[in-house]
Amino acid sequence: MVKIIVNGREVEADPKKPLIKACHDNGADVPMYCYHPGLEPVGSCRICQVEVKQGDAPARVMVACRTQPAEGMVVDTESPKAHATRKECLEFLLKNHPLDCPICDKAGECDLQDFTYAEGQDAGRTNEPRRELDKRKSLGDTIVLDQERCILCSRCVRFFEEVPKQAQLTVSDLGSRSVIATFMDRPLKGKYQGNIADLCPVGALTLKKFRFQARVWNLVKMASTCGECSRGCSTTVEVLRGADVKRMRPRENEAVNKFWMCDIGRFSFDRHNRSGRLQGAAVREGVQLVPYPVEEALTRLRDELMREKSGAWILSPWLTIEEGERIKAVAERLGHAVCFVSPAPNSEKDDLLHTGDPCPNRRGLSELGIPAAPVAQALEALRGVKSAVLIGERIVELLGAGELAKVDATKTRVHLVDEYALDIPCVLSVYGVANCVERTGTWVRSRPSRHRRWARARLPS
Amino acid sequence: MALEANLVAEFDQLAKNYPEKRAIMMLALHRLQDVRGWLSPEALEDLAAYLGMEPVEVFGVASFYPMYRLRPCGQHVVSICHNISCDLRGAQDIVAAVCEATGAPLHGTSPDGKFTVTTVECAGACANAPMFDLDGVYHEDLTPEKAKQIVRSVK
Amino acid sequence: MSQTERYLLTRANIEGAHQLAVAEKNGAYEALRKVLKEGIPYSTVIDEVKKSGLRGRGGAGFSTGMKWTFMPDPAKDPRPRYLAVNADESEPGTCKDRVIMQRDPHGFVEGVLLAAYAIRAQAAYIYVRGEYRLPHDRVKAAIEEARAKNLVGKNILGSDFSCEVYMHRGGGAYICGEETGLMESLEGKRGHPRPKPPFPAMFGLWGQPTTVNNVETVFNVPFIMNRGSAWFASLGTANSKGNFLCGISGHVNKPGVYEFSFGITAKEILEQHAGGMWKGRGLKAWFPGGSSCSLLKGSDIDVVLDHDSLRARGSSLGTAAMIMIDDHTSMARVMEIISRFYDHESCGQCSQCREGTQWLSQIFRRIAHGKGKADDVATLEALAKGMAPGKTICALSDAAAIPTLSAVRLFKDELIECVTRQADPLAVPQPHYAVAGGHH
Repeated sequence: MVKIIVNGREVEADPKKPLIKACHDNGADVPMYCYHPGLEPVGSCRICQVEVKQGDAPARVMVACRTQPAEGMVVDTESPKAHATRKECLEFLLKNHPLDCPICDKAGECDLQDFTYAEGQDAGRTNEPRRELDKRKSLGDTIVLDQERCILCSRCVRFFEEVPKQAQLTVSDLGSRSVIATFMDRPLKGKYQGNIADLCPVGALTLKKFRFQARVWNLVKMASTCGECSRGCSTTVEVLRGADVKRMRPRENEAVNKFWMCDIGRFSFDRHNRSGRLQGAAVREGVQLVPYPVEEALTRLRDELMREKSGAWILSPWLTIEEGERIKAVAERLGHAVCFVSPAPNSEKDDLLHTGDPCPNRRGLSELGIPAAPVAQALEALRGVKSAVLIGERIVELLGAGELAKVDATKTRVHLVDEYALDIPCVLSVYGVANCVERTGTWVRSRPSRHRRWARARLPS
Repeated sequence: MALEANLVAEFDQLAKNYPEKRAIMMLALHRLQDVRGWLSPEALEDLAAYLGMEPVEVFGVASFYPMYRLRPCGQHVVSICHNISCDLRGAQDIVAAVCEATGAPLHGTSPDGKFTVTTVECAGACANAPMFDLDGVYHEDLTPEKAKQIVRSVK
Repeated sequence: MSQTERYLLTRANIEGAHQLAVAEKNGAYEALRKVLKEGIPYSTVIDEVKKSGLRGRGGAGFSTGMKWTFMPDPAKDPRPRYLAVNADESEPGTCKDRVIMQRDPHGFVEGVLLAAYAIRAQAAYIYVRGEYRLPHDRVKAAIEEARAKNLVGKNILGSDFSCEVYMHRGGGAYICGEETGLMESLEGKRGHPRPKPPFPAMFGLWGQPTTVNNVETVFNVPFIMNRGSAWFASLGTANSKGNFLCGISGHVNKPGVYEFSFGITAKEILEQHAGGMWKGRGLKAWFPGGSSCSLLKGSDIDVVLDHDSLRARGSSLGTAAMIMIDDHTSMARVMEIISRFYDHESCGQCSQCREGTQWLSQIFRRIAHGKGKADDVATLEALAKGMAPGKTICALSDAAAIPTLSAVRLFKDELIECVTRQADPLAVPQPHYAVAGGHH
């Protein structure tokens, strides 16, 4: 580490990291487009200008992303010269940029808007014809490219080269004719495409799933964790007006997922917007499940479980360790078996993020001493008792509604705690549950070992 | 399709001149264009496969350089310099003469597929302006008549 | 000022000098032989070239000997070392390196070998612009002839000095004449210049120590080693030593490539060698060193052609490519072409250059076609000031800005008149031809 002075304050900086990082880490705002902390710096956008004085040499304005901190460096991120150069740079970037803000998804979280507001001029100088390019170029199922909005920062190109390490995009042609392109308009492949929409500083790369869905300032954002595999990427869940989840994005976590998440997790929020959620409780009377006051239903259930020696509590691996702990205590007091459903590994495991273990809290529940039961084993356990309580979101999905339908209702009474009711003969009572964007709790990641507490993104439906 | 066997042999040999195989790219693209007439998507894919790269990477390189033709072109390519020294000495008249003699529009191909006519930036023949490059050969100190004559004599 | 001595084109002017036998008979490889036979250390070669005052002939004019000293000490840094020779010659008006490669390729190869020897490189890559087929073929043939005579390759002339010389080709991009753009292209990538630092001597081809030298620069080295630095320094002026190849083109009677000593005036070049302005016309404006320098007025023709004098006059030597414009010519038209060139050639990395070169081109085009707007001239100046100096990865942005600022400074009235009249009074009617796909 070296000692440098940033805006009059002495700070420590890693000489192996770009100066812009030292500035950002110490509260000094420096605008950036081509620079991203998760990618190698290229110094092409020219916006991150700061004034630097080293030793006796005269102070010079230079790009902070391609400058290494050196002992005794004096950095001024607010110098008039730095601001003037950034202002000029912004004028050049806005020359061809279409006036799309009113219809652009990126509005409100756009780096071009933000830095222009902070440092740019308030009116365009002239009205030169802008480039006319493809504004709706589909790059496959996930991403759409607006070539006119693109400011050629090349983050998207570099992302594929540096992170999943397989080039998929290039800058084609050159100069003012440069455009981002795939080969022969082939669609993008792989499950890391969504990240380029996050990376894009403007609205050139947008998610088809998010297109025209919401104005970002109307979204309430809560820190969360992805549950689609045991990696537990840190995320932000974004909810529109307390109702639908409109977006899930990665949140920076150096130890776990850096700046990225996979599309399986990113687009898993769909399931949180389905209708037909089970509200409250329902109890079977005759051939039907009829709504029932929750307290009374729970009282009846408690009575049954306390009487019944032959019981099993089968948990979803989406349960938190707080929930797991309490349920295990109850099961043990009642002398019942307890286990959690252990889904088989899937084929999504890769070298980057996805662990191939499609559940979030295997490790947490295991560490509590709750045995893991593969689906077949869990079903067998279920069939072997007289009372079975299935708890947690996706428990029916994991066990299989079809398999559950085959359970002999005369031998086993099933009580279900899940997001949706399942009306099959063996199910005697059902209880609606808040899912992982509607409650708080802790999962334990498979690796690296870190608990993660996540917050409630919205109220339960 | 794949790279022609003789090109593979040629490129293998060329690659020995560089510490990284990718460095043969510029030469390989020129050769492939000479052999196949233009750099079609298949050509780029074939070269990418040979180099162990993604086609998009080869495409990104090829599209950077004006000499690489990524669209089909005529049998003969006339590249007329229209930069300053040539313009000062009548390059525009040469463009008109060549378009007339070939029947091709500028930046296009003649209907009989014989000629593609294009303009290029400074070709390094400034002291002998105006000029054009016909299939890699410089023709300098042109007049409109000479230009037409040269074109018409192409078989 | 009378011509003192010529050496650069002497052998080149001999019929058949591109062949080894003729070349050797006329002095090619004498310096190399001497250096290797006498065991003159690389450091002496560097010192001689430094003392000679040789400055790069590719446009930047940096001290060649000094540039060679930037290479690291191989004892401390044993990585492979390369010489890259910049034969990409694409600066408008410039056609001199071509003469050397076509007509005296052995003299050139000798220069390459001596430069490689000085920097202790084990290989030299000659990056020649793709369009220069004959120069490429001549140099390639010369290398093969030289190899057969143990002048290229392992243990040259039985010495410890081994050096491979490889020909490489460009693809028509001007930006690959920028030393780091050249290296990127040589490595098989898009010719995007690299930010500096790191500099090529520490991080060059494939990240290894590399020196990039221009054709004419290395071509001078054998002459310096043969005749000595004192001789070389006796030619030229205080800070511009030796002879140089001067291209003169445009509206002159005898355009061509001529050899002069620094210190000659532009007037002498124009009148005594290039036959004066054509058609009995006057000189309105001219570029002294390619299009990336400031325009000069006709009255500046008295300037001495060397680095310092041109700098003092507000321009620069560049590639010593004089482009002469007569007094019937529209400066709006000239700048339409010049600005279009930079727009075409920008690699597109830097915001100011990618957008600025296009913007300047659009404005000049409108002015030249009678569609100028009242604030255009002021905008040109503001944009050019935003594009330079030193705000971008490489100097192409500066190269576009500099002539623009000079045009606005020297020919403001003419440009404004085009705007006011909504027509260019000096416009020459252009011939008609069909254009495919609506290109301009």
